[in-house]
Amino acid sequence: MTRRQFIPLAGVAATAGYASFKMQKPPKLSDGPAGNSAVAIVRARSYSEDLAGRMLEGVRQCGLDVRGKRVLLKPNLVEFDSATVINTDASVIAAAVELFHRLGAAEVKIGEGPGHRRDTLDLAEDARYRASIPKFESIFTDLNRDDVAPIKGFAGESEFYFPKTVLAADLIVSLAKMKTHHWAGATLSMKNFFGIVPGSVYGWPKNKLHYIGIPQSVVELNRVFRNTFAIVDGVVGMEGNGPIQGTPKPAGVLVMGHDLVAVDATCCRIMGIDPEKVEYLRLAATLGHVHIGRIEQRGETIASVHTNFALIDEFSKLRLA
Amino acid sequence: MGELYLESRLDFLRAMQNPDGGWGYFPGKQSWLEPTAYAMLALHGTPGSEARLQNAWQLVRSWQTADGSSRPTGQVSSGTWITAHVVTLACVRKVYDDRVRNSVDWLLRIAGAESSLTNRFVSHLHVVNTNMDFSHKGWPWREGNSSWIEPTVHTLVALKKVAGQYHGPELRSRIRDGEALVFSRRCSDGGWNCGNPNVLSFDLPSYPETTALALIGLQGRNANELAVPLQAARRFRQETKSSLAKAWLNIALRCHGDTLDAPVNDAKVFHDVMLTAIEALGHPAGNYQLLRTGGLA
Repeated sequence: MTRRQFIPLAGVAATAGYASFKMQKPPKLSDGPAGNSAVAIVRARSYSEDLAGRMLEGVRQCGLDVRGKRVLLKPNLVEFDSATVINTDASVIAAAVELFHRLGAAEVKIGEGPGHRRDTLDLAEDARYRASIPKFESIFTDLNRDDVAPIKGFAGESEFYFPKTVLAADLIVSLAKMKTHHWAGATLSMKNFFGIVPGSVYGWPKNKLHYIGIPQSVVELNRVFRNTFAIVDGVVGMEGNGPIQGTPKPAGVLVMGHDLVAVDATCCRIMGIDPEKVEYLRLAATLGHVHIGRIEQRGETIASVHTNFALIDEFSKLRLA
Repeated sequence: MGELYLESRLDFLRAMQNPDGGWGYFPGKQSWLEPTAYAMLALHGTPGSEARLQNAWQLVRSWQTADGSSRPTGQVSSGTWITAHVVTLACVRKVYDDRVRNSVDWLLRIAGAESSLTNRFVSHLHVVNTNMDFSHKGWPWREGNSSWIEPTVHTLVALKKVAGQYHGPELRSRIRDGEALVFSRRCSDGGWNCGNPNVLSFDLPSYPETTALALIGLQGRNANELAVPLQAARRFRQETKSSLAKAWLNIALRCHGDTLDAPVNDAKVFHDVMLTAIEALGHPAGNYQLLRTGGLA
């Protein structure tokens, strides 16, 4: 049995059902939607740099217009461990808040619903979000415990519930961390949307997503929420046994774009991972671009910032040739 | 000592009750059953609270569905693990009618999907390389999903509290099996996380809040079985940066007979209704006793 088939059974992520045991051939990689996608790579060697200025370069290169929009920033806030690189760095979020206000957004909010820990506000405190972001408590929503409303057509469910803060946003910005992931291969801007599923309805962890399938859930979330933009924090990422127990890996970049599939594919190439072998990206290739020829790289080139992230043995086959 | 700590929290809860009788997770938000349950427990028996608790109880009961489960809020159509809290509240309020029986029946009908015959068969064949023991039945967050520590523990508390009123052979066996599942999911460091002690070859660490909850669910078990987890809980209480974890640890350790210092009076500005209620429950003069249960004879 491969790792992929094992996932639904593993760790009470466990036992999703017999369908998970079917041996499936990976789908042929789609050519993706019409046109190309712009992805910007900007250098940021440390969190003490002018990150808002760096982000502005990338946002302009991607042609993002946020004037008059209600913007929701979605960081990756996972664990109480401020000494490591599990969470999106507070300075990246603070810079994004400043930047989107500067660019004329009508409203800038932050929302997150961690998958395992329930004390979201204390997690944010420990990650220095309160200390780093002005008026943090007035703009932050615990998406696990927000009021909810149903939508139809998510993963074949008659009703699936999402936080009203998410449903009300004109633009959701995935402020993800560049990390390896012991189930998905890598966790980047697309998987970061697991945190918009409310724990108050689906639990801690959000086990319903495991039953739908982790790659399938990643794709569904990104199919349903299309008004999105990504800024991936790769200033210092995580390699090895990510997304929690890995080790810091400086990559010195911020990666940005409208097409989250293309952003994640680009991040993979920077990390030395072949995006065409990452299951969720193969499945997502109808939503955006995985093929390198369809991604217009702006700013730095991949070759100039490429740095192999260590992979656990089970994912060594993902290494980019 | 610490009276202001408790009273300020109870006053906050009184002020935050919504017009429909329930409480939201945060001030001004829609009512949810989870914060409503903890607020009701925290305010139970306090002077002048019965009318507001009766309103809350009516709202809670209005969320029961035809199958006996309870919805987590009025905006969600199907029942969840939160049904366990309704049974606990019913026991606290000494309500043992057919509707409560329906809730208990639903809890007894539900089990984590990992304990299905198919998955147990696969486990028996060692097709899957896992340390997980699929032979025990716990409870999931939602029907059709896997068992996890928190919903299992809340259901254990509910079933132990209702056991004296509900005479069915399955209830006692489900309690025993649920306890066995909790023990089987303990992490190598002595405590519990959400319910997943290892991923492939990697041990995962426990969390303070789920360690506390597991200890609440395992009340009545042999002291030797709980010695190591109680040590982990005491250590967590000194170290944790989570207010929620500390509140649950206060409740768990008091339920297991520890004498803890009363918290000092604070000037905290409250934002989180559920946390405030759990902190109030964990005060030495708070209602943590309502979560006390015995074991099975």
